[in-house]
Amino acid sequence: MNRARLIDTGLLLLASTLLGFGAYHALSVAPPERYMGEVYRILYVHVPSAWSALIAFTVTFAANIAYLWKSRPGADALAEASAEVGLLFCGLLLASGSIFARPTWGVWWQWDPRLTTAAIMFFAYAGYMALRQFVTDPEKRATWSAVVGILIFVDVPIVYFSVKWFGAGLHQLPSSPQTTSPALVTALRLNAFAFLALYGWFLRLRYRLARNNQTHESMEPPAVRTA
Amino acid sequence: MNMDGVLVGGTEYIVAAYAIVWGGLFAYGISLMFRVKKSEQEKAS
Repeated sequence: MNRARLIDTGLLLLASTLLGFGAYHALSVAPPERYMGEVYRILYVHVPSAWSALIAFTVTFAANIAYLWKSRPGADALAEASAEVGLLFCGLLLASGSIFARPTWGVWWQWDPRLTTAAIMFFAYAGYMALRQFVTDPEKRATWSAVVGILIFVDVPIVYFSVKWFGAGLHQLPSSPQTTSPALVTALRLNAFAFLALYGWFLRLRYRLARNNQTHESMEPPAVRTA
Repeated sequence: MNMDGVLVGGTEYIVAAYAIVWGGLFAYGISLMFRVKKSEQEKAS
């Protein structure tokens, strides 16, 4: 087994193990929350999805800048890979958040600042991925998507700070280990690291796919590429 | 909700959320492995 495969396997094993322990703590060890009862356990997959999405889009932003600066295809591949994985986590964030909202807030959706900016983030990165599909010329695709990727990243810090900047809507203010019972923190940490390891594994695989596609494209005749 | 204002029940929401999140992650991981394998076969041929 070569080094890359060894790292992939290690990350997958790490993610699976942490997910197993995380699920056990989230569903069995952590006590019910004082007001939300059992339903709050959804937060153990909702919050790590949010953190993973924000990290993924930040990596995309950094890779977009790196591409415009150095014009290296590897940076473009990294941006594409991280955006797709981030989009997955963002979709899971919105879905789990909506399911959590129904029993706790009484609605599936509310145009609250945090929810609205998160939805904008999802559709912006869906558009980013769509743009990459529409542009067939590799250099134009990389340049245009890098510019778009930098522009839409503006929404990412807005999502993070929205509950502070725009006042409290239905979404709660951020919690910290200082404001949360230690019994609840362990499960969240385990799941957060599990999602981070999964992000790393997904990113490595998706990056390899993007690089293979670049190699495949470079071997095609120009007439096919620009058609 | 009980007399103390505490939400009770809601297991169906927990099951739905975990099924969507874990199912989504699992499905994406499997599809990604197949996509990478296919691209490596195309690269080799």
